[in-house]
Amino acid sequence: MDKRYFLETFHVTEPQMERLIAAALSHGGDYADLYFEYSTYNDLLLRDGEVSSGGFHIDFGTGIRTLKEEKTGYAYSENTDMDDMTAAAKAASVIAQGDNCGRSRTASSPVSGHVCRDGLYPMAVAWRDSAASSFLPFLKRLETGIFSKDTRVVKVSAKLSYSQSDIMMFNSYGELTCDTRPLGSITASVIFSHNGRNENKTVSRSFRMGAEMVTDTIIDEMISEAVSGIDERFEARRPKGGRMPVVMGAGASGILLHESMGHSFEADFNRKGQSVFSGRIGERICPAGINIVDDGTIRYNRGACNYDDEGIPGQKTYMVTDGVLTSYLHDRVSARWYGTAPTGNGRRESFRFNPIPRMRATYMENGTVPKEDIIGSVKKGIYVDEFSNGQVKIGEGDFTFYVKSGRMIENGILTAPVKDINIIGNGPQALAGITAVGNDLKIDNGTWTCGKDQSAAVSCGIPTVLIDCLTVGGE
Amino acid sequence: MRMTGMKDTDNRKEGLVSEDEMSAAKFCIDYAIGAGASQARVSLNKSVLDSFSVLNGSLDKVMHSADRSIFLYLFADGRYGTFSTNILDRESLGRFVTKALETVRMLAPDGFRRLPSPERTAKDAITGTETGLYDSSYHRIAAEERLSSALSGTIFREETCGNAGFRLISEECEYSDSIDDNYTIDSQGFSGRHTETSFAFCSEMTISDRKGDRYSGYWWEASPAAMRQDLKECSRSALERAVRQIGPKRHRSGRFNMITDSNVSSRLVSPLFSALNATAIQQKNSFLAESLGRQVFTDRLTILDLARTPGKPGSRYYDTEGVATKDGPVIENGVIKEYFTNTYIAGKTGMEPTVESVSRPVLMPAFPGGRGSCLDSAEKRVSLQDLMNECGDGIYVCGFNGGNCNPVTGDFSYGIEGFAFKGGRITHPVKEMLVTGNMVRLWNNLVAAGSDARGCTRWQIPSLAFAGVDFSA
Repeated sequence: MDKRYFLETFHVTEPQMERLIAAALSHGGDYADLYFEYSTYNDLLLRDGEVSSGGFHIDFGTGIRTLKEEKTGYAYSENTDMDDMTAAAKAASVIAQGDNCGRSRTASSPVSGHVCRDGLYPMAVAWRDSAASSFLPFLKRLETGIFSKDTRVVKVSAKLSYSQSDIMMFNSYGELTCDTRPLGSITASVIFSHNGRNENKTVSRSFRMGAEMVTDTIIDEMISEAVSGIDERFEARRPKGGRMPVVMGAGASGILLHESMGHSFEADFNRKGQSVFSGRIGERICPAGINIVDDGTIRYNRGACNYDDEGIPGQKTYMVTDGVLTSYLHDRVSARWYGTAPTGNGRRESFRFNPIPRMRATYMENGTVPKEDIIGSVKKGIYVDEFSNGQVKIGEGDFTFYVKSGRMIENGILTAPVKDINIIGNGPQALAGITAVGNDLKIDNGTWTCGKDQSAAVSCGIPTVLIDCLTVGGE
Repeated sequence: MRMTGMKDTDNRKEGLVSEDEMSAAKFCIDYAIGAGASQARVSLNKSVLDSFSVLNGSLDKVMHSADRSIFLYLFADGRYGTFSTNILDRESLGRFVTKALETVRMLAPDGFRRLPSPERTAKDAITGTETGLYDSSYHRIAAEERLSSALSGTIFREETCGNAGFRLISEECEYSDSIDDNYTIDSQGFSGRHTETSFAFCSEMTISDRKGDRYSGYWWEASPAAMRQDLKECSRSALERAVRQIGPKRHRSGRFNMITDSNVSSRLVSPLFSALNATAIQQKNSFLAESLGRQVFTDRLTILDLARTPGKPGSRYYDTEGVATKDGPVIENGVIKEYFTNTYIAGKTGMEPTVESVSRPVLMPAFPGGRGSCLDSAEKRVSLQDLMNECGDGIYVCGFNGGNCNPVTGDFSYGIEGFAFKGGRITHPVKEMLVTGNMVRLWNNLVAAGSDARGCTRWQIPSLAFAGVDFSA
């Protein structure tokens, strides 16, 4: 869609936006930007065999930010009436009245790195043009397919959520950026019952894609995944806890990277000296040959960004190159502080929030070792491949992730299944303790959502990796 | 410093929702019924939040948030849907309701979808101030006062820690105040209002020890009324909590007593309320199915829902459906007394309808030998030190790092931070430790519950002591 569509959607003109920028800078700020958003969210929920609840939600507004060195003033208006937006701009501008103890830097930062300017998520079928009723047969197919595959299934709930956001950004450099962002997610939660015991499993798929993502193919994939590994889940026990080698299976184990180092590489934490990786740019932090990236350029990926929420083009950022820490993840604020270019990581949940450094799709590039050789090299340890959530303490570097399924490894062979255990480690030690990297990189396309102050759609991936020692929960 | 440009909230004496906005809510009900809906409920939420953040003693961020939105719960032709918008002009609302109705009619019919019966709805939430959570002085706070409050809590420039074995790396403080106003009406005549103000200050400190290892500490204060205390104490508490973590040691794995601090105990209570939700039970997604009226936990466990305690955070007179809250036991002496059952699930399962969710849970003190069983006795007070003395040795958990609880089985595993204690005295901070178990077993091993829940929290959960908990390290 062209510029005119966005200007009409938000009922503003470029001269009006210039006046708002002037208001936002009226107390001497050195940068200001406007973030216009019109989002529609829809959801359909199937429970007990019927899609009997659903709805839609509309969100509309403008966020206005003023920067004075690294200090932020932020306010927003839930309409685009000039009086209300001007009041918000003036509210944001007060930050420039604060004391001036920061260092003065040039405001402009040239963009570097790989820049993708063509659309990463063109919609063949726009969500807003699709009747919700057209999706009902797919949810029904998902439910009946799961029931038909396993007699132990007693409950299935299936949900389709989709959104379409029109975003327009304008800043004090005069840059106008527009983006239309689709996001679709399908989730199935299944309860199995066997011999008086219940177990659960959740599968999901999420893409920045139009309504064309809802196909029989994706539904059938999810059906197969929903019922796989259930025998093992009923057999699974808690292991004896303690410290042991951990083999992270390809794909969802990318949560390790998100928690153990991704957050610690976000430049706001480093600018403030709070991260365990503060001041370590240029240092070796893991074995040679390892590359870890945060990538906003994967087509249709949940973490893809044509532009971030500061108007910086989507990029692929190498955080670790050949084992050396080479870049933090920057928004405009931290980039200015470090005297470097923003990396396109300035993201926000909505117009209600100011952008901060956030991850996109975080993964490790392939190594050379076959998965079987990695497992075969472990005398006694654990293999994990399905997760639900994780967390990190930025300063200490202590991270955790919750394992939904895995297996013990004994003498190089996968043995007893395990489930529902937490694993804890320390980021720098875990990275330094990577002793093998597989050749089977997989990006996980589940509904990963990062919760650093604001929600952000992300994804993660990793090839099979061996970490020499982490602490595994057990009884 | 004169702060200009920040528009103070208007001079209205009570709440935020205007007559015109109430009229917009009613417009949605009338429009929906006029267009053929059988029933409708509208919830109008309006809020304002101002925050001033201070980094290392200097103002770092100013934020002004003002939100309003309408939620529409629509029932038509035996079908049901939920919708929301923040575009409230009448023309847009008309289109919104029309489209919502179209969407509802596309869904499958479900005969159990209906509003709660009128006799169950609250009749006493009229002005919004009945819960005593509204401080009208909120409207008189000027931007200068907010800035002054934010700066008053910083200790960065006065903190000299060169000889204390650590270096203060960063201090982040934030003062915020807010007002939230809810106005809910339905097509059967229910009308409810809930207004509350909140004033909060939080502080996070990051320090490094002589080896360069970093530690962080966090503390906060909050109140529905304007705070008068010395906010520096909050920052000092955060710093103290960071400093006490210096020099953690790896503890051995094993089965130990566990004491959870009152600041984090709610993490262990939350899965119980999730499991007592009737929707989870109906979906077979609960480890407390078929437990109503049964003794599932130790008789030392009693949790009341005291939703109607004016002035206490968490109090409310009606739930999302407009159903009147009431005070009563959720778990009494280990016996399950209530499932949280909304109108839909009640109709579907035949269970007795209640409120949708817990409002203000209060976990009652308990101590071996009966101390604490007399709720109005002065001797019932049970301190953290009492718990440590009772347990003797174990792990004192001050924070959780990640982890989860399987809602179907109650199996849990959490990362923890805290301290080892011996003979009732803290010995050292522990490093990279996990606690793993099952919720039913854990709560049956409850040894004692303190009386030290923080008054500023909605959930009144004190420090807790458990026996025989599995730790991995």
